Amino acid sequence: MTTGVPMLSIKNLTASIHGTPVLKGIDLEIKAGEIHAIMGPNGSGKSTLGKVLAGHPSYEVTGGEVLFEGQNLFELEADARARAGLFMGFQHPIEVPGVSNASFLRLAYNKKAEAEGRDELDPLEFDDFIHEKIKLVSMREEFLDRSLNEGFSGGEKKRNEILQMAVLEPKLAILDELDSGLDIDALRVLGDAVNKLQRADRALLIITHFPRILETIQPQFVHVLSGGRILKSSGKELAVELEERGYDWVLEEAAAGGAR
Amino acid sequence: MSTATASHLLADLLATPRPAEWAELRQAAEARLATRDLPTTRDEDWKYTDLKALDGLAFTPAPSVPVDISGLLLPEMVGTRQVFVNGHHAPHASCVSAVPAGVRFLPLSTASEACHALGTVGPNANQSVFEDLNTARFSDGAVILVPKNLKVALPLHLLFITKAEAPVASFPRLLVVLERGAELELVEEHHGEGTYLTCPVVEVRVAEGAILRHERVQRDGDEAFHLGTLKAEVAKGGQYHSRTLSFGARLSRQQPWVRLAEGAECSLDGLALLTGHQVADTHSFLLHAEPNASSHQLHKCIVDGKARAVFNGQIIVAPHAQGTDAKQQSRNLLLSETAQVDTKPQLEIYADDVKCSHGATVGALDPEELFYLQSRGLNADDARNLLTYGFAADVLTHVPVASLRRALRQLVMARTQADSLGDLS
Repeated sequence: MTTGVPMLSIKNLTASIHGTPVLKGIDLEIKAGEIHAIMGPNGSGKSTLGKVLAGHPSYEVTGGEVLFEGQNLFELEADARARAGLFMGFQHPIEVPGVSNASFLRLAYNKKAEAEGRDELDPLEFDDFIHEKIKLVSMREEFLDRSLNEGFSGGEKKRNEILQMAVLEPKLAILDELDSGLDIDALRVLGDAVNKLQRADRALLIITHFPRILETIQPQFVHVLSGGRILKSSGKELAVELEERGYDWVLEEAAAGGAR
Repeated sequence: MSTATASHLLADLLATPRPAEWAELRQAAEARLATRDLPTTRDEDWKYTDLKALDGLAFTPAPSVPVDISGLLLPEMVGTRQVFVNGHHAPHASCVSAVPAGVRFLPLSTASEACHALGTVGPNANQSVFEDLNTARFSDGAVILVPKNLKVALPLHLLFITKAEAPVASFPRLLVVLERGAELELVEEHHGEGTYLTCPVVEVRVAEGAILRHERVQRDGDEAFHLGTLKAEVAKGGQYHSRTLSFGARLSRQQPWVRLAEGAECSLDGLALLTGHQVADTHSFLLHAEPNASSHQLHKCIVDGKARAVFNGQIIVAPHAQGTDAKQQSRNLLLSETAQVDTKPQLEIYADDVKCSHGATVGALDPEELFYLQSRGLNADDARNLLTYGFAADVLTHVPVASLRRALRQLVMARTQADSLGDLS
């Protein structure tokens, strides 16, 4: 679909947690402007893939290679990956009492601005900036003054993840189970927000169990992950088929074909 | 070992002339002290807090000295301030021009009407050595009386300052009485420099339906010993909310004692930020004496270096105190391998229809929280500092006086190395 050097190139990636292999050889290429969906049954390793890419310290990369804009991703700590333009929206965002959402957002924004040689924003400037951004995710203003994610409902936390994405403007956003904990209306709002943020120079990797979210955020590529391997890759029509038929047939087909 | 020196310390201080006022109270305290000694680590209540550092220090009564308080003024309270230096009233540093009519905010030495109330809060037994020492030798203190149904619009500010050139002992004293339906915000601060022993005693009486919000800031000097007592009785439907923030002193101990009558509400929060060889000990006692009272206690410590934090939270629910709702949390953050925390919830429940919960955590920063912040571009040090700051600042969220809240946040930022992160308020 899109030509050129891939933004993200994953080659034969293997990873384990506490000595147990979870990813058993992943190959995937994502180019700027593309939207990919990783789908799969629970325990398939799809969330692990997101965490490994984001640099979660509990996972050990045991083999393979990941290049992000030509750079070896594993040479970078999690924070350097973020500053380089990688973003992961968490399935379960963390609560940080005592730090206001607004000051955290400003801090994150300014750290990235500093890394990119742009001007940092003072609290007043940031106030104007963030008030535009919260409209995108229909977040109420009071959530800026509250402690980061503290006491937020599941949906409010997800709203806040997409707000962070809007503030940080990553090149590649990995959204892990964005739809969990969201009602249909909130899902539509956040799906629309993600679509508005998508541009020709950005890419999205949607990790999801349920195809529902892919009705709003429409991927060009759908991959089924199971047992730590990508069993099938296809266009967006695969999501529809998974919605109708579930995952079992993909697993059976893969077993029959002996394919990975 | 320490016993001989300890007696010496008590004897030396009691050998000083007894002030003339409150003779009866003082004599009773002295009589109890005659048979007692400073506690040692053999006393269960003092197992983790060793007073032997008092060894070899000869404390003399603190003289009245001039003091510069310009750095301690808070804009909301410029005209509602009483200052005590070394336990003596400092009229030139004080200013009460904005104290609303009807409120009595005076030095004890000029408030004879308070005579009968002083020393009456709490059980007439089990006084600690340091409380008795205060009663025996305090030279002055503050009295606050708020009449029936008066809701005081401005917060009151109390500064207790100790300035020691040679080791001195000072005995700050405070009596707060809120009559029925009265409301007050009070900020009580302790500052100091030099080597000293300070043993403040605070008595609080909250009448029916009255509300007291009491912010307590301990910023004593690095070489100070702060051994404090707080006693509060809250009548039916009254509310007492206190927050004690401990930053200073090489050794500090807070002993709040609170009795709740029917339907009373209480929060008893604490924060201690410790480093070096500091020791901070809180031994709290909360008595649900009657039905349907609620209490909420959140005690947090951040312990670095070779410092040590001690928390012992005793909650008693009396047999007929049905409908009690008591919640206690002790949360401790260890920032070094050599830091130490001893925490012990102690709930004694003698009623059956109650809701009581407690929890204690001691640990380092959560790796999942660190990862979350790092995944947003904060480097490992910044992430650690931000989480440490947040852990402490959480206790400050509801400090009612804006300038105080700002000042405390800045202090916490500096102490948690979060000041490089910019304005986090």
